[in-house]
Amino acid sequence: MYGQLISSVTVGAGGASNIEFTGIAGSFTDLVAVVNLRTTYSSLDTINVTVNGSTTGYSWRVLFGNGASASSWTGSGSGFQEIGAPGTNHTANTFSNGILTFPNYSGSTNKSFSVDYVTENNGTTAYAWLIAGLWSSTSAISSIKFASMNANLAQYSTISLYGLTKGSGGATVS
Amino acid sequence: MPSALVPLANITLGSATASVTFSSIVGTYRDLMLVAQVGHTVASSLRLRANSDSGANYSYVSMIGTGTSTASGGGGGITYYPLTEYGIQATTPIVTSITHLMDYSATDKHKSLITRHSESGYQVSALACRWASTSAITSLVIFPGSSTFVAGSTFALYGVSA
Repeated sequence: MYGQLISSVTVGAGGASNIEFTGIAGSFTDLVAVVNLRTTYSSLDTINVTVNGSTTGYSWRVLFGNGASASSWTGSGSGFQEIGAPGTNHTANTFSNGILTFPNYSGSTNKSFSVDYVTENNGTTAYAWLIAGLWSSTSAISSIKFASMNANLAQYSTISLYGLTKGSGGATVS
Repeated sequence: MPSALVPLANITLGSATASVTFSSIVGTYRDLMLVAQVGHTVASSLRLRANSDSGANYSYVSMIGTGTSTASGGGGGITYYPLTEYGIQATTPIVTSITHLMDYSATDKHKSLITRHSESGYQVSALACRWASTSAITSLVIFPGSSTFVAGSTFALYGVSA
């Protein structure tokens, strides 16, 4: 439902430090990453998302829920470092799920992005995020990397990257 | 691999514009998805109307995070689908709005949508809205409440295949 599949990566046995998509063509309109992650960290891990190998210009605003209360905060860092992934102390075979949308990723304006994300820990605390993000760069996005900040991405973690392409022929716009 | 998301129409604004209208929307898909990236010349809310209906036939529920506080709102008997609870503050086109309109061409149900709004410098929110009409949606107009879209704002409409 997310457009044309560009690439899909599933982590094999032994895990991986990151999943990176490189050489992303600039021919689409928007990018959508569908993520399904778990790490080998001993507890809830943080996923570091970076674009074009850049370590500057990331900021975000969060609406968060933990099943008991809602909260909101802002953040910034050397990557987009807000979404989490279950670690080894979480219910077995449970993975986080989320969608990251990068509209106009190849344009010449700063890159805003939208994130909807949840973790899972059956019967205990789990988390849900709605995030508004910004990479303050006018460069076109040509690569995206997702890395565990504390350990490795676990086997069966999967990320699929899709491209949406705008067009015409089904409606009139004015 | 064929995509279930079919592009229907799109526009990039070359100058400040009061509204964008998608008309003659084909009725052959299951759902619609509208992806917009906008800025407003003056802070104001983002709104959507179906089939030019400006009657008090819309309702919604919202949840918002401002970065320091959370809120939830709702209401009925309003004259548009609200796509934001609070006004868009950005005056450059960096605010992301993603809206899913379900069963837009059905004639046996009211028209519901889910919308996500992301403005990293001000707010993040999600809303669920309903238009109390069983008419098939053939046109949509998106507009700021009391402002204009800035040049460079983009709008793309997609059909979602069943």
